[in-house]
Amino acid sequence: MTSRLLAPFDLLTPQSVSEGVQMLAQYQSQVAILNGGTALWNHHRKLKHQPPYILTLSALKELDYIDYIPGEGLRIGAKAKICDLIENPVVAARFPALYEAAYWFGNPQIRFMATAMGNILRASPSADCSCAILALGGQVVLQSQSGQRIVDIDDFWLSYDVTARRCDELATEIRIPETGSTTCSSFQRLTRVRQDLAKINVAVRLEMSQGVCRQARIAMGCVGPTTKRLTGVEQLLVGNPVTDELLQQLATAVKSEITPIDDQRSTAAYRTQVSGVILRRVIERALSANMNCDSRERS
Amino acid sequence: MKNRLITLSVNGRNYRLNVEVNRTLLQALRDDLKLVDVKYGCGSGECGGCSVLVEGRECINSCLTLAVEMEGRNITTIGGMMRKGELHPIQQAFIDEGAIQCGFCTPGMVMKTASILAKNPCPSEDEIRRGLEGNICRCTGYENIVRAVQTASRVMHESDIQAAGGARP
Amino acid sequence: MSEMTYIGKSVPKVDAREKVTGQVIYAAEVHLPNMLYGKIVRCWEHSHARVTHLDLSEAAKVPGVVKVLGPGDVTRKLYNTGVLDLMVPEDMGKHLLGDIEDQRIFTDHVRHQGDAICGIIAESEEIAEQAARKVIALYEPLPVYLTAAESSQPGAFQFDERKPGNMAFQLPEQMFPNNAYGWGDVDAEMATADLIIEDTFYVPKVKQCQLEPHAYVAFYDQSGRLNCWTSTQMPKCVHNKLARLFELPISRVNLVSTTIGGGFGGRLGMVFEPETCAMAMAVPGHPVKVQSAREEDWVASESRHPGKYRLKMGFKNDGTPVAADAHFTSDAGAYFSHSSGVPFTAGSWLTGMYKYNAVRYKGDCYYTNQAPSGAFRGYGNPQTNFVLEQIVDQACLKLNIDPVEWRKRWHKQVGDDGWCIGFPYSSCSLDECLDRGAEAIGWKEKRARYATQSGTKRRGIGVSVMNHTSGAMPMLLEHTTCTVKMNEDASAVITIACSDLGQGSHTVLKQIAAETLGMPMEEIHLLVNMDAAGFDIGSHASRTTYVGGGAVLKACEDVKRQLIGRASTRLGIPVEELEIRDRHVVSKNKPRRPEGAIEDAADHLRNNVWGVGASMSIKEICNVGVYHFVNPMNGEANGIPGQIQGYASYFPSHNSPPFGACFAEVEVDIETGQVQVLELVMAHDIGRAINPKAVAGQLVGGSHQALGMALTEEIHYNAKGLCLTNSFTDYKMFGPLDMPKVTTILVENPDPVAPYGLKSVGEAGPVNPVGATANAISNALGIMFTEAPITPEKILLAIAAQGLA
Repeated sequence: MTSRLLAPFDLLTPQSVSEGVQMLAQYQSQVAILNGGTALWNHHRKLKHQPPYILTLSALKELDYIDYIPGEGLRIGAKAKICDLIENPVVAARFPALYEAAYWFGNPQIRFMATAMGNILRASPSADCSCAILALGGQVVLQSQSGQRIVDIDDFWLSYDVTARRCDELATEIRIPETGSTTCSSFQRLTRVRQDLAKINVAVRLEMSQGVCRQARIAMGCVGPTTKRLTGVEQLLVGNPVTDELLQQLATAVKSEITPIDDQRSTAAYRTQVSGVILRRVIERALSANMNCDSRERS
Repeated sequence: MKNRLITLSVNGRNYRLNVEVNRTLLQALRDDLKLVDVKYGCGSGECGGCSVLVEGRECINSCLTLAVEMEGRNITTIGGMMRKGELHPIQQAFIDEGAIQCGFCTPGMVMKTASILAKNPCPSEDEIRRGLEGNICRCTGYENIVRAVQTASRVMHESDIQAAGGARP
Repeated sequence: MSEMTYIGKSVPKVDAREKVTGQVIYAAEVHLPNMLYGKIVRCWEHSHARVTHLDLSEAAKVPGVVKVLGPGDVTRKLYNTGVLDLMVPEDMGKHLLGDIEDQRIFTDHVRHQGDAICGIIAESEEIAEQAARKVIALYEPLPVYLTAAESSQPGAFQFDERKPGNMAFQLPEQMFPNNAYGWGDVDAEMATADLIIEDTFYVPKVKQCQLEPHAYVAFYDQSGRLNCWTSTQMPKCVHNKLARLFELPISRVNLVSTTIGGGFGGRLGMVFEPETCAMAMAVPGHPVKVQSAREEDWVASESRHPGKYRLKMGFKNDGTPVAADAHFTSDAGAYFSHSSGVPFTAGSWLTGMYKYNAVRYKGDCYYTNQAPSGAFRGYGNPQTNFVLEQIVDQACLKLNIDPVEWRKRWHKQVGDDGWCIGFPYSSCSLDECLDRGAEAIGWKEKRARYATQSGTKRRGIGVSVMNHTSGAMPMLLEHTTCTVKMNEDASAVITIACSDLGQGSHTVLKQIAAETLGMPMEEIHLLVNMDAAGFDIGSHASRTTYVGGGAVLKACEDVKRQLIGRASTRLGIPVEELEIRDRHVVSKNKPRRPEGAIEDAADHLRNNVWGVGASMSIKEICNVGVYHFVNPMNGEANGIPGQIQGYASYFPSHNSPPFGACFAEVEVDIETGQVQVLELVMAHDIGRAINPKAVAGQLVGGSHQALGMALTEEIHYNAKGLCLTNSFTDYKMFGPLDMPKVTTILVENPDPVAPYGLKSVGEAGPVNPVGATANAISNALGIMFTEAPITPEKILLAIAAQGLA
């Protein structure tokens, strides 16, 4: 049935994180968390039974921050908005993949309302921030009454729509490790029209020295039930100079690592075919954007 | 809690109302306060028909916002754009540039324009088009709306200069 | 062209200020005392099923529910949401065209996802929705057909016993031998061809996506009148249909036209007025408001006709189009609606375009389990454009003829049959459109430059032409009635039933009135009221300016005749020697009375100067027409009594078809298949632009819909016929950053038979950018795409299969 209205619920407005986790412990799976609100109501509309409790983070000002700690990296509070990521000069300078994912995200209203945390908690394989964050690496901090639990981003999405967050936990922070002058990263996506969900997205984080890739993290979305690390492609890359031949190899290799499907946005065949193209382009862009990373070995 | 007594500040006026917590800002504005210049276009944050200006600077989709969460925020809708019975330069620009056909997207578009120009008084065409994303128009193809934003920017910039004593920067 | 005061001026739209201050009332804003809220309950789980069990008892128990209505609780009368049946004589519609009424308010045979099965009336929308969730409906699924090919199979489930083989419509044999429209011997001519190009195309089901969702208020009041607030494009037709459906005389139905938040054909008839009115009839004395959710739009209201369109054309080596043989088989959707309209008209744009020696067009459509295909701006023309213009370009490629030159040589001209055979073109400036458009986009230079390319980005440039119509005569009823009442102070009220979808029709009607009457627009009020206004067939077929304007023109001329007649009697000057200038009736020969001379009736009475002088002000004539005093002293009257009211019940004598040329430049990324449209140039043969800015706005706005159809828009269904794209999240239209630079060129050579020489533009925009974009992509890649939308997925598949040029 369609509706122009929100289903009835009881609103919980914790005034502190500890009050919040107490409420979560009490209501568990009966409660959904309201943060930016851009995804929640649309998601609920599709459910047969909406949760009777909504816990809003609106009073938790202490979670609204983006901190950069030199040597450690970025700390993104749960309430930090997509537009805050774009406006923060450190994000653009040191974490370009995340900046780019935020830049292309949604539209101005959505960017002002939505949060990076909300994006990763939605666990959609097409989520742009998820893709960038998986490539940049990092952790998700989860608070509950039993204390704090830190989950590596590689272990965060368990399956389609399912994260490692337990229903009595509040996700409070995303941590992204420091980048150096030889780190480069970039994000790219393909859409049907400019303002759209991705039909395929990709992000890379590379540690380069003298044209050779020392470390690589590559994430791709819309090609499986969750955003995916392309570990096979990474292994081909690490320890090698980034040449045109290597990029061709990677473009071919990625196809066997992904399992895209047909849906209303695109086809499995298309996603497979362009996966190599956008992987190559995102690596080229990451390298050329950072002088220290630019490969000198490429013919 | 299921109900709350809140004060909404809209177009410079304060309104006291008792709302259910599941009431969206869109419903509160339209159905409770009878401020029907804000439109339901899709209810899912895609079309921008419901967009309102917050703190004179950013647009939000009121269909995805709970009314109770807007306590203490200053909201502006198209009905609050006129000054002393005179059309705001943005409104005049929309008329002059032929940016209004069926008019249904107009309330959201005008508020989005106000947001674009509040954050960036002299935007490029590309910046305008990027700023207009999230507000759908099916009638105009966006062309004249972009012209209206450019005209409003020029007029407001010129009047800012005049207000500052005519000295050009 | 002569300079006029209002015609040709881009005056601001008359409703712009209301709209930009948020004061305008759309149907959802209508709020009345004692109002209740209606929810139309639809079947979402199935696209084809029988309702075997419907239990509304739990729903009825929800506190605040006033009434629950199943199929048996409302009229079971069948109707057709489309209004074509009012536009043709009954025997022609029913017997010849096979028009049927097959829709019910609430059904027990669900024929598409979103079909309405019952209704709830409650004290609030929340309660109505709560109750709707408690409706128990059990279904027996039936076979699902998603294409004409599927439903036309032998043994397929028959949708309607009146339509064997599920064929909703084909061109009737009695009017069109062999069910085909055209002329000449196609097979014989085709045999003489040096080159034959043939292909089968697929055109998608696309949606109007007007921004205003469907909302209605209906009220069966205590005086026994059914009132309905609706944003239909066709108020008088819907007025008639509601009266018939609810078996009331038209005078007991009050249709209130609310401001229309976009139509594009999606409101070319009834949408949810029947359900809303049925609910109102069930609770007399209470208005009922129905507000549909956006998601309902794609599944429960009408779309463009999709389908398979085969075209075979034969050419001589010199380019002569000897024959064209076309067959468009479309998916009708679940109900008849416009089944007899679009399948026919699609062909008439084809036959109206070029000087084929022979042409044959067949059009038919078959039921499918989707929302009905109905009317969408262009009405078959965008589909034809995608097909015809690409086949022509293929021939030009093979014959090494420039596509612009070919079109200049072979398009129809003045005196040739237009879209309706036997009805010749009254004017044609397509050559000028092609020349000016080609120059604006840099046709020659770019064609040369793009002939050889390498690299991952390939550019291409394409052209497409179109013809359309200004009103649908002689095929359909063309009739608008207009009255122009002169108030005693010479301000005017135009009463007319023409709607304004946002295109600016009310503005241009006022411009025409102001020009004709020689008075300021600000002193003219346009009253759109169904009780007061006479007939108007509605806003469709690009007719409102041409026919509505023609009616206004004629009624204003009636006013002028009356004014001159009165003045003639009063001044003692023959009518032939009088004219209207500066709001005075003046002698063509004798000078006007000097300024400051006696003006009003009282002064006349005092000074006894009747009959002196060579002019009378309009104000004076109007004033004494109303305030007709008889001098008690001498028994003399002060003028000619009678309020001035002009009237026209106008049937146009022509349809002055417009032409247009569109040029498109694209850039294709051959690794991702993504297409960027860089530029569009649209040159339109407008005759005379009453409001140039509004005309340009129609072209640009329409191009948005064309580009969507060409590249990104399509309603998708799963195998069960359930819609996958009923939201803006997944039905993707061009946004502000996707739109190209659009240049509009208005070619103004007035049409000799049209009011003020004008021709239409309303439906031109969504047409030729379709073909131009497809041709540009073909020019870029050397591959013709037979399926729209031309998505990156299809482009990469084609490049892999066919290679690049």
